[in-house]
Amino acid sequence: MKKRKKSTTMTKTPLRRRGAPLAAALLSATLVLSACGSNGDDASEPVAKTRTVKADNGSVDVPADPQQVVTIGNTTLPFIDMGGKPVGVTEVSASELGLLPAEQKATFEAATNLGSSGDQVDMEKLASLKPDLILAQLPDSEFEQIEKQLASIAPTVFWGLDVEWKAFAGALSEAGNVTDGLGEQKAKFEKKVAEIKQAYGKIIDDTSFVNVDRWASSDPGTFSIADFGCVEIAQDDIGMDFPRAAAGEDPLGWTSLPFEQIAGLSKYDVITYPVDASGRPTEPFAPVVGTNTWKALPAVSSGRALGVFCPGNNSYGPVLQYLDSLETALATLPAKE
Amino acid sequence: MTALIARHDGPGNVTVPGPRRRLTGLAVALVALLVLLVLSVMIGSTSISPSVVWDALFHPSADIDQFAIRDYRLPRTVVGLVVGAALGVAGALIQALTRNPLADPGILGVHAGASFAVTVAVGVLGVRDIQGYMWFAFAGALIVTLMVLALGSTRRGRSPVVMVLAGVCVGAVLGGAREALQQTNPDAFDAIRSWNAGSVVGRPLDLVWPILPFLAVALVLTFAVSGPLNAMVLGDELAVAQGVRLARTRILAIIAVTLLAGGATAIAGPIGFVGLMVPHVARWVVGPDQRWIFAYSVLLGPVLLLASDILGRVVMHPGEIPVGIVTAFVGAPVLVGLARRKRASGL
Repeated sequence: MKKRKKSTTMTKTPLRRRGAPLAAALLSATLVLSACGSNGDDASEPVAKTRTVKADNGSVDVPADPQQVVTIGNTTLPFIDMGGKPVGVTEVSASELGLLPAEQKATFEAATNLGSSGDQVDMEKLASLKPDLILAQLPDSEFEQIEKQLASIAPTVFWGLDVEWKAFAGALSEAGNVTDGLGEQKAKFEKKVAEIKQAYGKIIDDTSFVNVDRWASSDPGTFSIADFGCVEIAQDDIGMDFPRAAAGEDPLGWTSLPFEQIAGLSKYDVITYPVDASGRPTEPFAPVVGTNTWKALPAVSSGRALGVFCPGNNSYGPVLQYLDSLETALATLPAKE
Repeated sequence: MTALIARHDGPGNVTVPGPRRRLTGLAVALVALLVLLVLSVMIGSTSISPSVVWDALFHPSADIDQFAIRDYRLPRTVVGLVVGAALGVAGALIQALTRNPLADPGILGVHAGASFAVTVAVGVLGVRDIQGYMWFAFAGALIVTLMVLALGSTRRGRSPVVMVLAGVCVGAVLGGAREALQQTNPDAFDAIRSWNAGSVVGRPLDLVWPILPFLAVALVLTFAVSGPLNAMVLGDELAVAQGVRLARTRILAIIAVTLLAGGATAIAGPIGFVGLMVPHVARWVVGPDQRWIFAYSVLLGPVLLLASDILGRVVMHPGEIPVGIVTAFVGAPVLVGLARRKRASGL
């Protein structure tokens, strides 16, 4: 199998910046948690314990046990997945919300809606929640616009979009003090990866894969060879051979390919494509599956086009669901050889 | 009324070309269009041999490359042909009607109406595929143009200048409302981002057939008003003296522009500059006779659109550039040049 450079990038949104694998390693290495007392002069006042965490916006003193947490941008769903209960959130897409377990969805809906995205936060409403911690992941340019306002309301911990998902999950859990479930999730993840490698190692070594996708924002009549999102887990952690952009180049998935290039997928042994929880092609991808070109692909006609469910790729809960789906899909391959 | 009179235009006289030059030019335009139609089927972002293209058209089989020809390139070429012709004629018509050489179909609010309606369809009603929101675009274009027509009507009749002002105002208002909707619904913005760029990719022929009757009616109307429009170039009083019914001509012309530009926009999204540039090229060749300008625009519109689309397929391989962006790149410098010409109008 062709050896590929390990990527540490993980983002689900195709148009947002990614890359900079070094940032991930730096983040995980520099996350410093040091318990320290506050410097209250009045001994009679209760002393709020704080910790210092380092993130993309530097060292931030945060409450040791935050009670009023606000999540902005991509921190919301991972924080809830880890058991956090934010008091204020920015919106997530309807499709993402539809994939949440009922309990997590209830948690999300119980929080105050602060705006459609990181750069649309209603600061007045945010301040009225009296948060003791703000967790934010959004593009650097958007954060720069609101950084001072956020910091004047509560300690704010920020990550850009370049951070690797496992490092991000660890850092977020520490900053938000939701570490209880993380160890268990990580153990499950590592066990599942080992199981897949052991069971399908030979197939993985001998097979060329390609992952294709389409989003609601894709131009009509176009699709993409997606090299970001859940496929990075299959590539980096399991070792599956997927096409990837050359170092320093934009991700392949950023380029919209016209449907006539579907025929070019013939050169791959196995195609993976996005499906929903019930196994049907996702709504944006359905037009691809309906084309004559898709149906004429050797991988499709021989049953080697695998639908894989990816509910998210920014925390362990959805990633474990993805691995379950991938394992189920791979299990169908040997019988079709 | 059918004979056109050479007239003063700026510092010099307009020379009316003879029939031979006009016919020769028309033949050249037709040949150019036929060549581009063939190239549009032959050239794409994947390399497919001419023999496969031939077989795909005349000896169809289930070969995977043949599907690329029949399912994508052929419909795309037909869409380019129809949309280009509609935009070219619509541009010629609106320039003649407003006597403004820098007018394009969007000036009456066609694009603004279509975009606003599509935003509402996607953002509020949850329509997600182009087959669904195409009709919203068409309806939006029609309704907004009627609004502009009503707003542009004065007690003394319908003034082209007032109508243009009304179109600009309505366009600005709808543009703001559309922006507001898109700000509150980023998913909707994402879904129609590509439509707003103007593209002929991924439009099946099923999308074109229902619009064709409207375009055919509009073309008939266009040629029906070409004579009266020729007379109106000389001024309203002289046109009335020649028996032209001003109000009826203007209303028919506006209906034709709306159907043409609205239909094209519904299929491909807002594509600028085609309706602006094509009539100028036609006027350079045939002079100010609207009948010839319209006939040329029918051919030159798709010539420009198909050439731009072919260019957009190959310059950023393996991706493509939407044709609306290519025409903008080509059209922007042309627009500047036109604006700086002393005898820009020729109207």
